[in-house]
Amino acid sequence: MKNGFNHISAEMAQSALRYFQGFMPEFTVTDLQSLLQYCQIRKFPRKAKLVEEGEVDDYLNLVLSGLVRKYVRSNTKEQTLQLATEGHLVHSELSFLTRQPSLAILETLEPTLLLSLRFDKMEEALEHFPQGERMGRLMLTAMYIKKDERRYARASKTVRELFMDYVAHHPHMLQRVPQKYLASYLNIKPETFSRLKHLGRKPQKINGSSKNLT
Amino acid sequence: MDNYRALQEFLGRFMPLSGEDFAILKKKSSVVHIRKKDIITDAGDTELYLYFVVKGLIREYFYKGSQQVTTDLISEGTITGSVTSFFTGAPSHFCLQAMEPCSLVAIHKGALEDLYRSNRSWEKFGRIITTHFLLQQEKQILNSTILSPRERFLHFLTAYNHLVQRVPQKYLASFLQIKPETFSRMKHLLRKNHKKQSVS
Repeated sequence: MKNGFNHISAEMAQSALRYFQGFMPEFTVTDLQSLLQYCQIRKFPRKAKLVEEGEVDDYLNLVLSGLVRKYVRSNTKEQTLQLATEGHLVHSELSFLTRQPSLAILETLEPTLLLSLRFDKMEEALEHFPQGERMGRLMLTAMYIKKDERRYARASKTVRELFMDYVAHHPHMLQRVPQKYLASYLNIKPETFSRLKHLGRKPQKINGSSKNLT
Repeated sequence: MDNYRALQEFLGRFMPLSGEDFAILKKKSSVVHIRKKDIITDAGDTELYLYFVVKGLIREYFYKGSQQVTTDLISEGTITGSVTSFFTGAPSHFCLQAMEPCSLVAIHKGALEDLYRSNRSWEKFGRIITTHFLLQQEKQILNSTILSPRERFLHFLTAYNHLVQRVPQKYLASFLQIKPETFSRMKHLLRKNHKKQSVS
């Protein structure tokens, strides 16, 4: 598999650049080109497993296009932990960082293109880049903050508030992701999720749209 | 000087830390003593410090209306603070309160930034320690997802045994997201089972 700038579109390269600049504004196009030497572009069809339960996760992934679901199985139930779309990092952290078998499963919900960094290459990159340690620390901190905020939201908000907040911030997800996964991710019962979704869809009576007339 | 020794031992577990390097860290931090019931960080405050707990017990909670919901219990040998607020500058969602008199080593945000900027090995150190806390956080998330309330209770009793005597039951129940009555009942059942085992 070839690496390098040529194999991802200019747009994707731009989003990857913006992603890293989000942590370090001084990260340049040249820096990105150097970093890409350590990375791989990986392509997956829909419903592909990136990581199975019990496998060691070897890759840290940035979603360039597509959608990855991270979930765990507990008895017969599945709990969705993350739904990663373009511009988001996804991996089985615990497995990747400790080199232990993964408890989480990563699966694609759409054909997906990933910018992936293998564990051994990450260690090389950390050595090579003067700012590699800083970038790593900032990325890890961002992951921590995201989960901490989610912890707080789930403990403090009502089911309805969680639903409304999510839809407000991720409107397209309702179309892209099967309802059962969204409900699981938000920790809302499927019936409640349906009801909330329906409430949100009630027709507006303001304009005289013919769609509202029977 | 005992306060700093505990911190040095803690940090030494992650990466070799020379006496010289540690002296630099010492200069940039300070020991604080907190009285029981004092609020270390209040909800709405911007967290400016990270704290290493040398001695004491801290409860993290937030207000849901007028009710307190306990979200974490922190004791000796780890780092605490309202972490998200510390890193983002946003107001803290959480309160941190001393449940016992505490001795903490505190480092100010500015001082930590200076440390990171001064030397690449401090950045590496920072990365390694951040990794440690991220992994702890992920383990907690997975446990609360995979385990049943009963399993969570048992896991807690094993992992946090040292806290069971130190923390009032209502806070433990809140932390485990179990009703206080359920907590009592589970604790009673556990004692009964143990009794059975020891008789046979």
